[in-house]
Amino acid sequence: MASAELAAVPEPWIDPPWVEGANTYESITDKVSEIALKRETPLAWYIAFGISSSLAGMFGALIGYLIFTGVGIWGNNSPVFWGFPIVNFVFWVGIGHAGTLISAILFLFRQHWRTSINRFAEAMTIFAVVCAGTFPGIHVGRAWLAYWLFPLPTSQLSMWPNFRSPLLWDVFAVGTYATVSVLFWYMGMIPDFATLRDRAKNKIQQFAYGVASLGWTGSASQWRVYEKAYMLLAALATPLVLSVHSVVSFDFAVSQIPGWHTTIFPPYFVAGAVFSGFGMVLTLMIPARELFGLKELVTMRHIENMCKIIILTGSIVGFAYMTEFFIAWYSGNGYEKFAFINRAFGPYWWAYWIMVTCNVISPQLFWFKSIRRNVWVIFIITIFINIGMWFERFVIIVTLSRDFLPSSWGYYKPTLIDILMLIGSFGLFFTLFLLFCRFLPIVAMSEVKQVMHHVDGPAKAGHAGGGH
Amino acid sequence: MPTSVTNSRPTYWRSLDQLENSPEFQEFLHREFPIAASEYPEGVSRRRWMQLMGASFALASVAGCRWQTEKIVPMAERPEGYIPGEAEYFATNINWADAPRHLLVTKYDGRPIKIEGNADHPGSRGTADAFTQAATLSLYDPDRASYPRLRSEGETTAKQWADVEAELGKLAGEWSGTQGAGLAVLLGNTNSYAEFDAIDALAKKYPAAKFYQYAPLGRTNELAGAELALGDKLRTHYKLAGAKVIASFDGDLLTLHPNAIAHARDFGASRDPDAGKMSRLWVVESTYTTTGTSADHRLPVKSAEIGALVAKLRDLVKSKAASAAAPKEVAMPSADEFIAVLAEDLLAAGKDGVVFVGERQPPEVHAIAHEINSLLGAVGNTVVYTAEPAPETALGSITELVAALNAGSVKSLVILGGNPGFDAPADLKFAEAVKKAPASIRLGCYDDETSRLCRWSLPQTHPLEEWGDAIAWDGTIGVCQPMIEPLLGGKSTLEVLAMLAGIATPDARQIVADAVAKRAGEMSSEAWNKLLHDGVLPESGLEPVAATLTGSDIQPPAASGGEGYELVFTPSAQLYDGRFANNGWLQELPDFLTKVVWDNPLLMSPETAKELAVEQGELVEVTVNGQSLELPVYLLPGQAKGSLAISVGYGRTAAGKVGGYIGEDGRSPKRELVNGLLGHWLHATADPVGFDTYKLRSSQAPYIATGVELKPKRHIYQLATTQDHHAIDQLGLEETGRRTGPLIREASLEHFGEHPDFAHHVVHEVETEPLWQLHQYKPGETAKWGMAIDLTKCIGCNACVIACQAENNVPVVGKDQVARNREMHWIRIDRYFKGDVARAEVAYQPIACQQCETAPCEQVCPVAATVHSSEGLNDMVYNRCVGTRYCANNCPYKVRRFNYFNYNKKLEAANNELIHLAMNPEVTIRARGVMEKCTYCVQRISKGRIHAKNEQRPLKDGEIVSACQQSCPTQAITFGDLNLEGSAVGKQHENPRAYGILTELMTKPRTLFLARIRNPHPKLAIAEPEHVEHGHDEHAHEEGEKHAVRKMKNLLPILS
Repeated sequence: MASAELAAVPEPWIDPPWVEGANTYESITDKVSEIALKRETPLAWYIAFGISSSLAGMFGALIGYLIFTGVGIWGNNSPVFWGFPIVNFVFWVGIGHAGTLISAILFLFRQHWRTSINRFAEAMTIFAVVCAGTFPGIHVGRAWLAYWLFPLPTSQLSMWPNFRSPLLWDVFAVGTYATVSVLFWYMGMIPDFATLRDRAKNKIQQFAYGVASLGWTGSASQWRVYEKAYMLLAALATPLVLSVHSVVSFDFAVSQIPGWHTTIFPPYFVAGAVFSGFGMVLTLMIPARELFGLKELVTMRHIENMCKIIILTGSIVGFAYMTEFFIAWYSGNGYEKFAFINRAFGPYWWAYWIMVTCNVISPQLFWFKSIRRNVWVIFIITIFINIGMWFERFVIIVTLSRDFLPSSWGYYKPTLIDILMLIGSFGLFFTLFLLFCRFLPIVAMSEVKQVMHHVDGPAKAGHAGGGH
Repeated sequence: MPTSVTNSRPTYWRSLDQLENSPEFQEFLHREFPIAASEYPEGVSRRRWMQLMGASFALASVAGCRWQTEKIVPMAERPEGYIPGEAEYFATNINWADAPRHLLVTKYDGRPIKIEGNADHPGSRGTADAFTQAATLSLYDPDRASYPRLRSEGETTAKQWADVEAELGKLAGEWSGTQGAGLAVLLGNTNSYAEFDAIDALAKKYPAAKFYQYAPLGRTNELAGAELALGDKLRTHYKLAGAKVIASFDGDLLTLHPNAIAHARDFGASRDPDAGKMSRLWVVESTYTTTGTSADHRLPVKSAEIGALVAKLRDLVKSKAASAAAPKEVAMPSADEFIAVLAEDLLAAGKDGVVFVGERQPPEVHAIAHEINSLLGAVGNTVVYTAEPAPETALGSITELVAALNAGSVKSLVILGGNPGFDAPADLKFAEAVKKAPASIRLGCYDDETSRLCRWSLPQTHPLEEWGDAIAWDGTIGVCQPMIEPLLGGKSTLEVLAMLAGIATPDARQIVADAVAKRAGEMSSEAWNKLLHDGVLPESGLEPVAATLTGSDIQPPAASGGEGYELVFTPSAQLYDGRFANNGWLQELPDFLTKVVWDNPLLMSPETAKELAVEQGELVEVTVNGQSLELPVYLLPGQAKGSLAISVGYGRTAAGKVGGYIGEDGRSPKRELVNGLLGHWLHATADPVGFDTYKLRSSQAPYIATGVELKPKRHIYQLATTQDHHAIDQLGLEETGRRTGPLIREASLEHFGEHPDFAHHVVHEVETEPLWQLHQYKPGETAKWGMAIDLTKCIGCNACVIACQAENNVPVVGKDQVARNREMHWIRIDRYFKGDVARAEVAYQPIACQQCETAPCEQVCPVAATVHSSEGLNDMVYNRCVGTRYCANNCPYKVRRFNYFNYNKKLEAANNELIHLAMNPEVTIRARGVMEKCTYCVQRISKGRIHAKNEQRPLKDGEIVSACQQSCPTQAITFGDLNLEGSAVGKQHENPRAYGILTELMTKPRTLFLARIRNPHPKLAIAEPEHVEHGHDEHAHEEGEKHAVRKMKNLLPILS
């Protein structure tokens, strides 16, 4: 459909192709399904998987230790009752933002460039949400009772949870987000699973992909239902992109701690989340496209577009930082004013300036085309963005260290276990991600084909599942 | 075991007889009963506990055979028979921390769990200090000595009391031949008529025996001073209730004085700004005491220079030339100006003035104070003299004892109580001297440093386990009745004195009864029962002595040391002289000023620190008289320049698993209070807590050492504090300064008189309408609990902190947890400094849960574990709590405490039943992972409500008393029903001084503070801020803030 319209516009207006090189439908299917089916697993994968799964194992062991010993093994104290776990939670939820944004919002806005990266981003979302979900669960003092946060009609409790609490809203928001993201991701993969099923040579693969593809045959009636459902899910997921981080920000905004109690939090958190999500997608994608030979599908143009989104969201974040400061001064609220001055010049000044440098200054480099097209620089900048966004949450949390009564002020210092658990959560994330890269269709084959220039006439075999 | 042989029975018995003394049997003992046989006692076994409790019940209800005549009589209520779970209250008296304490003990099921003051006793009037309230924890300390030990030839063996009796019998044989020559008895502080009689009886039996007394913080200087001025060792009583001007020199009238509770109560009563009655307190001291923090004017001066100032004061008072010498108006008076104005004020007060000098000062200075009091005409009014109760037998000093030991004239040394092995002056080399006595016997609650020096170590009873008596400060007779049978089988000092005198099984109760009868006449059994019931024998006090000055124009000793540094030894406000080292409550009690726990830092003024170029927490090597010790520095504003202060009592090496224990073999047991990886897998030893500063203390200069050398070590030592957990930067200090004004609202008496509602104009109070209808508490239908805390009266004595801890089973968490800001106290006393660094003023603010009407914590809890009760309490539902900690984040007062670990782990330890008994059965023990906080003592509210309901009457005002309120010696805390017409707390809330803190957050706190009123002398008063009129709210707000800023501008760069 897109190509027909494109033909009518003057030459310079024509978008460069989203798929580079002499690729046909067949070659795309070959390239993507080969990763899951045939290709020799690169040694680098084994090394990466070895490291990340060990870290994930350590994470699990530390969780065990935590549950047996108590949350005192962390650095949390009074007044900073929340520490690294909540920083990590908000960080991971933020990372998990890009997926749904790319899948749902960009889909609804007909941004065709999303097709090469959406699967990737969605997978990242799911894994980030898994990491994010771990932390609130183990963060509570009595982790074995964390299920009490769910509205369960049990006789044990004889009452509903407190619906006034933002933490409860969190449960619903993150829960809904995780569910819809998984559904969306899985549904998008069904046609590709069918392709893999059809191309698989070994019994186990045939069976596994067969079960996963839910009997997909690629018939027109299936496609009709599929496209409708996909559209509906996208429409359903779209508000979630905004809601989940807004609700997460309510954890802070609804409380009355100076520096937390601000109305700017929801939009600022959403922008920050998209910012960090895109940062993480790039961090993962740049090595992955190199490793799995997907440079023709995930082109520099994709990367450039993502950099542009990073400029936008990074600027929003920077603007939010300024607004916060302005409002703190303008409000005339002494506590608020002090909270912000203390952020920038108090005991945690270093964290604040790491945050500003990484989040406000580094994305501005993407105004330069040369930087936007240099994968090495992009990779480094996105790492900075990840660091900066983690520190943003850290800065917010340690605002607790100086609240109202000077007598109860304190200083938060993480323990070794805090740091190891943060590293461990990355281990879990990369373990899941590496498994995804190895065994699942990492690019949405059927969707990519839709955005190819159909120069050689109508598609030879329609969509995937045709069995090229 | 032989079973089939018919005549095996006698054989069997004979073989056991043989077994008893065989080495195999000894080995068996060690294997089978390692607790009793090993060095380290683990407490009482379950079996032994059941025996004891059985015995206690028998004692309470049925007359047992052995204790037939020893009835203890409950005070408030006497249930018919025994009602399980119902509290019983007993009045008793104990000698504790060198002072008589008059108690009302709450017992549940035969075990004392809470100590309060005896309201009927004039020396207590219902309150007890922190030391005394912590006595229950010491009672159930599993580390107490539980069996006699014999140390010989490097071996320690467990013995029975029968062995001790045999040993005493053997020694008595020796003594009887020589009239007791060679027998030396060293006593700790004694303050009991029965003990006096027992000492005299022993002295009568062995006329050649020698008696000595040593208490490291005794009242030697005070009594010597009285002798110097008055010709006799008289006891000085200060009547502060009617005093108008109080001058205290280098002493702690309000907390550490033996009569401090009464002083504090009178002082509180003398400061009632609402009634227009305000005494003025002047303090001159080198390091802060709680008295100094409560002063209207305080002058920090080196202790060595205080004598000269007192003499100057005397001269001015005598010549009545004060007005001439006094300056007109001065904000920062010099020492001379300060003394001149003080003299003027004292002269104006005349007989209502009083001058007090602390024990630290030499006798001459005490004598001068007596002279001043006499010149003022205060004697007979604010100052009263009585005789000092003492045994007839002369008691020598420890210096004399050491001389006798070194001369070899002591053959058998008996040490009863005290702990001279730890706290004797270092220059005496007491430990070496003791070894020279062929026989040495020690009676002590713990097998401590002194016990290790002696051949025999005998377990002593806890004062709550023994018969005795305590002579009140005014001489009133009070009997000490056992609250429980000796848990660990000890004997009291009284019993051992009697045993020494040859009575094999002394009847302590009879000895006490005889001693009382000797002073108060024969008593009928009803009178005796009444004495036990009331805990006090009225009208039995000492008669005032009409003392006249025998000396005048006494000169103080010349200040030695000159410009050099002086080191001042202070009693520890937590461990006293070190005896409470194994008491976790006291170890973790934040110091009243530094807020340091589990340590005794070297206090130093920031100026001195600048001279030395040392920073907060840095280790400094202190050298005094050739003895060196490395101590961490704590920079304390208001500390006299050039004067360093250090408290004694820390650094114990044989206190126990809490206070530090290094085994005689050099190995240490596992420390208590360890959490996390360390606690599970690593061996954390019970290292000494703090620093043993007795090593620096000499018999020549027990309190003020001069010629001190200091050498910074450039190494930071971690101090754990409950406030200012970390060094505060300039930004934070400035903000603290801005915030303190609105938090602690204060004014001079004069300003208050002109503007009684000044407290409401410190900040702009916003009247906001809630968006929804708040819960209504209809008077007559439901109660509405509230509290008021009068900051004018709070002296920061910490009694409420321990009261709360004992009442509410607040766990002790240990130094590492406090260093991580995880202390668990439900009530804390915030301390703020004000004014110039060199002469900082101190303000206290006790903060517990404010029980907000619209509580921020309640809204954010996802599982509704903290909810509002129908009576307006902010209830915490422990078993619903999952520990999200959101409530604590959202609490603007940060009063919520979280169980980061299982802080009650020791309750679960095997064979550790003893410690369970210290727990209040009315209050849940909180599990790991749940939040907790002040409940306004909801268990007491429920109990009162049930009682009232049973009696079919409404609750009366004052019927329900929270633990903190109960313990407050100055009556600063009021609690009650705001809905009850005319209730005390309701009146306090109506008081124009009443204000809530952080009310701009719409929390609507139920606890209000009454603004602090100071009573500065007009000549030294700092100008008050302009009053802000009503009706100019915008303006008022700005002005108010400015004032706050101005007032606090010089807030201290304490740690910078």
